[in-house]
Amino acid sequence: MNSRPSYAIGTGLFILLGFAALAYLATQTTSVANVHQGHSYFVKARFSNIGQLKERAPVKIAGVRVGSVQSIQLERGKMDALVTLAIDDKYNDIPDDSGAAIFTSGLLGDQYVGLQPGGSPENLKNGDEIVLTQSAMQLEDLIGKFLVNGGPKSSSAPPSSTPPKPAASGG
Amino acid sequence: MNTLVRRNWLLNGIAQLGECGLFFLDILVALPKSLRHFREICRQVWFVGAMSLTIVMTCGMFVGMVLALQLYYTLSIFGGTAALGTVVALSLFRELGPVVTALLFAGRAGTAVTAEIGLMRATDQIDAMEMMAVDPIAYVVAPRYLAGVIAMPLLMCLFNALGILGGHLVGVTWLGVDNGTFWGNMTSTVDLWKDIIDGVWKSLAFGAVVTLIAVFQGYNAPPTSEGVAYSTTRTVVFSAIVILAVDFVMTAFLT
Amino acid sequence: MSAVTASIDSIAEPLVQVRDLHTRLGGKVIFDGLSLDVPRGSVTAIMGPSGTGKTTLLRHITGQLRAGFDDVSGSVRVAGEDIARLSRAALFALREKIGFLFQNSALLTDFNVFENVAFPLRQHTELPEVLIRDIVLTKLQAVGLRGAANLSPSELSGGMARRVALARAIVFDPMLILYDEPFVGLDPIALNQVLRLIGTLNKTLGITSILVAHELAAVRRVADRVYLIANGKLVAQGAPDELAREDSPWTRQFFGGEADGPVPFHYPAPDYATELGFAR
Ligand SMILES: Nc1ncnc2c1ncn2[C@@H]1O[C@H](COP(=O)(O)OP(=O)(O)OP(=O)(O)O)[C@@H](O)[C@H]1O
Ligand SMILES: [Mg+2]
Repeated sequence: MNSRPSYAIGTGLFILLGFAALAYLATQTTSVANVHQGHSYFVKARFSNIGQLKERAPVKIAGVRVGSVQSIQLERGKMDALVTLAIDDKYNDIPDDSGAAIFTSGLLGDQYVGLQPGGSPENLKNGDEIVLTQSAMQLEDLIGKFLVNGGPKSSSAPPSSTPPKPAASGG
Repeated sequence: MNTLVRRNWLLNGIAQLGECGLFFLDILVALPKSLRHFREICRQVWFVGAMSLTIVMTCGMFVGMVLALQLYYTLSIFGGTAALGTVVALSLFRELGPVVTALLFAGRAGTAVTAEIGLMRATDQIDAMEMMAVDPIAYVVAPRYLAGVIAMPLLMCLFNALGILGGHLVGVTWLGVDNGTFWGNMTSTVDLWKDIIDGVWKSLAFGAVVTLIAVFQGYNAPPTSEGVAYSTTRTVVFSAIVILAVDFVMTAFLT
Repeated sequence: MSAVTASIDSIAEPLVQVRDLHTRLGGKVIFDGLSLDVPRGSVTAIMGPSGTGKTTLLRHITGQLRAGFDDVSGSVRVAGEDIARLSRAALFALREKIGFLFQNSALLTDFNVFENVAFPLRQHTELPEVLIRDIVLTKLQAVGLRGAANLSPSELSGGMARRVALARAIVFDPMLILYDEPFVGLDPIALNQVLRLIGTLNKTLGITSILVAHELAAVRRVADRVYLIANGKLVAQGAPDELAREDSPWTRQFFGGEADGPVPFHYPAPDYATELGFAR
């Protein structure tokens, strides 16, 4: 039968198309998409409370994604959360006195690490630590503050903090 | 009298289930033999898979678009529209992709398989094969079964891919969610193994049961046009019920 | 010495031997103690009114119905083997040596004419394509349809489909061919062709044939022997000419075409007048 090869070709194309779709989903919609954005360097940051921050959460400057959270550990002794950030190599000009804060995208969205660039001429390098950090804004604390009507009552006051800002919108 | 009828009904149902199970064993036994009919398997993948492409891809697109629209309004109540990409992707991958694809597949390919096998039975083609010493289970049933199981997850992936694009179209292009946020949130939440591959497992299971129902109904269809029509209807009805039931069980176990 | 007697025995032994066959299908008695022999190299016709179980008898011979599996007792032996005892593999091996012409052709609608005839070859042999082509074209030539090789079954008339099915049935040069009503719906020309074909296959290749047919004139021209079945039993047998001359109520009704006789024209029913409400 002459139509035989065409079935084989059609079937082959169909299977290829299916696997292409799977590959597309796997690489474009999952964290694989982030891993694959070239090499990155690592910097550390300590937070007294990271809220709901998870590994692979985005790291942003001015709302632009520059990297992701590599790992989260509890640092023994100090009882701080030690967060390692993986920053893309192409963003190698971030001042070393920049600050890091944990924000929530939207009121209930995911949490991410926002970097606020400082003014130092030196840039962050692999292995550096970001000293200036601000912990996650806990919704409960926020509500508590509103109820008590102001006053620094926050139980988990950050050790080295700029005054808390309201949660910024992520996008 | 009434209880008698009901008991018969129940017994018939159980007997059908048993026959279906035995039929499944027959297929499994015939599978190695049917691998010899490689060309036939190819042809069937083409028929059940490629022929369902259009409907699956079109529906995937629309489901993604509707999802984005609905979820956008819900999320905007909570100011969470940034999570649109995540929610669209997770709904598709974990639930809607496998289930809707399976329902479409039952309607498009399952009915075709039932009707085809039923008509082959009605026109003595099945008997003729037996007479030519060709095992109809190995030649007719098993290749179609295999093709269904292969095609279903592939169709599901295409459905999901089109769904994501549809969601992106509505969410980003139309409703103005930021492109980076849409993808960024999605990529940071969706997990390859827990979300996408679990969906593939579901889809494989659906492929296995839907195609089993289709070939079983076709093979046992009464050899009349009325019988074939009736069996075709039963394929759709049983498939729909079984898909949703299996979905519930698998969701409970997978998550 | 013993080998010689054995081979003489096997020549003398009928190819198909049916003994005391009792069959019920769906609660209805089809055969009630049927016994008959089909000698090797003969053309044997099976005749009988519609619905007596001629097709069912053929299904017994091919093992699609057999004792032990269905509501069947008695024995059917083909080429010395008891059909009921064969394993599935052995049964399939036997079927490769039997050609079967279905009452309604049963061509595979997925394939064109050529592939339909080639189907058994492709399934059971690894012959090179050229050889398959030669064999298939030879068989199609024999039934006069070589030119139709590329048509699909839906493009064939009933008579053409019958001839394609015949080509398919003989593609393996079987030892036994079962024809289930091969003449129905054939025009006189095609009927003669098929008739000649049956004769040729039998005379030149020595293929034993069992022919189920209603056309007495056609049967007379090829059959060596006729069995007349009615009500689950053998009611008459003999050479076609003898049988036509014989004066039993069965043969009179069947060959003379009388509407009512031992075989009732009417399916069992309550009294006509009562059912219409005329009788009190
Ligand atoms: N699977 C079955 N279940 C129940 N009854 C059956 C089955 N197959 C055949 N029968 C019955 O067996 C009887 C014989 O059928 P069969 O097809 O052998 O008749 P036939 O002699 O070939 O008739 P015809 O000349 O019309 O082809 C019929 O009355 C039919 O109703
Ligand atoms: Mg018949």
